[in-house]
Amino acid sequence: MIDVHTHPVLVEEIMEKDDQMLRVVREVFGLGNRAQPLETFLLHMEDAGIDVSVIHPIDCTSTRGDKIYSNEQIAELVDMAGGKFIGFASVDPHSDRAGEDLEGAVRDLGLKGLKLAPSIQEFSPDDEKLFPLYERALDLGIPIMMHSGVSFEPNTRIRQCHPMLLEPVAAKYPDLRICIAHFGWPWVEETAALLLKYPNLYADTSCLYFDTPQEFIQFTFNGQIPTTWIERSLRNQVMFGSNFPRIEMGKMVQAVMDLGFTEGAKSLIFGGNAERFIGI
Amino acid sequence: MKVHLARLGVQTKREMEMIDITDEVIKVVEESGVKNGVVNVITMHTTTGITVNEGIPCLEEDTIETLKRLVPEGLDYHHARYLDFDGRLGVNAHCHLRGMLTGINTMFPIEDGELVKGGRQTIYFVETDGPLYRKYCVQVLGE
Repeated sequence: MIDVHTHPVLVEEIMEKDDQMLRVVREVFGLGNRAQPLETFLLHMEDAGIDVSVIHPIDCTSTRGDKIYSNEQIAELVDMAGGKFIGFASVDPHSDRAGEDLEGAVRDLGLKGLKLAPSIQEFSPDDEKLFPLYERALDLGIPIMMHSGVSFEPNTRIRQCHPMLLEPVAAKYPDLRICIAHFGWPWVEETAALLLKYPNLYADTSCLYFDTPQEFIQFTFNGQIPTTWIERSLRNQVMFGSNFPRIEMGKMVQAVMDLGFTEGAKSLIFGGNAERFIGI
Repeated sequence: MKVHLARLGVQTKREMEMIDITDEVIKVVEESGVKNGVVNVITMHTTTGITVNEGIPCLEEDTIETLKRLVPEGLDYHHARYLDFDGRLGVNAHCHLRGMLTGINTMFPIEDGELVKGGRQTIYFVETDGPLYRKYCVQVLGE
């Protein structure tokens, strides 16, 4: 099983070498939990039955003066985890060097995708200033994980995370694989409509904003939209994501499993689609 | 009076787990140099506990299963909401309540430099929200 959406922000081994990271995690990322050894992350994966987690940094240098983990730290974690992590890169989308930085992260550090967050990086996904970066990702053959919907980070706006802002990008670059993170919640119908129309778009299940994982996943995927939309029509584009450590991945695995997908759909949602999305 | 405080840690490996920490507590008592007094064992968390029972696997399983029966996961807990100070949902009310049932501490007397306890008494660190790296304190008071 693959979890396509995790943030390794609480790893003690990284924090011990970076005296600013605890402040960044608290103030910029907005997470109050304590740092934990890498072993805790790996034990959560084992407990949940997750074989590989995709780990994401966020480069918000222009907007916050910080990086929520650098690409180098992500690469270091990938090395430490013995094949259990796939690292995505993040670059500052406002930087003139964004494309070059991305290419370096992919070619030199071995990172496998690009993470962008319109909320904390403060851009609109349909802004044509971003298009050269999208083209660089396309040239490199890597996918983009685009934060969509509600953001937990402090002082961020939801509006620029509306999934419909991705439509011009998906239409202009039909070979560019983009994941609408968090299923674009609360715009779940809109996300489903985009997936239906654009096969290069994917979405992950990492949405939890109210109640328990069990209750909220049922509300979202068996209430806001029927489960049959995914089972019958979108089964090749929906990927399991947890948003760990904002929630334990085991609880999200169970909640998604409880939606009652067929074995064929589960195989795609929990692995096959992620392999195609990442290109592994 | 001498006061000796040791901060210890343990990596838990499952959501619920009972970890025998008796030897660690005895070691701290020995290191303290206290000949006559008391030792307190206190967890530093709100989703863990400290308890004492006979140290056999069947009772460990019974303890865990009883805690699960007494405090089921799927009830309608007020804590299941967004906690802005944590940046995440409070989905672990059952873990807090299970930890409360075990209590946060235990205490034993010390006589002639040795922990005084029953032959079958085992001191447990109880994990109710793992896996996590956890901390607990062992404080020795005496002369």
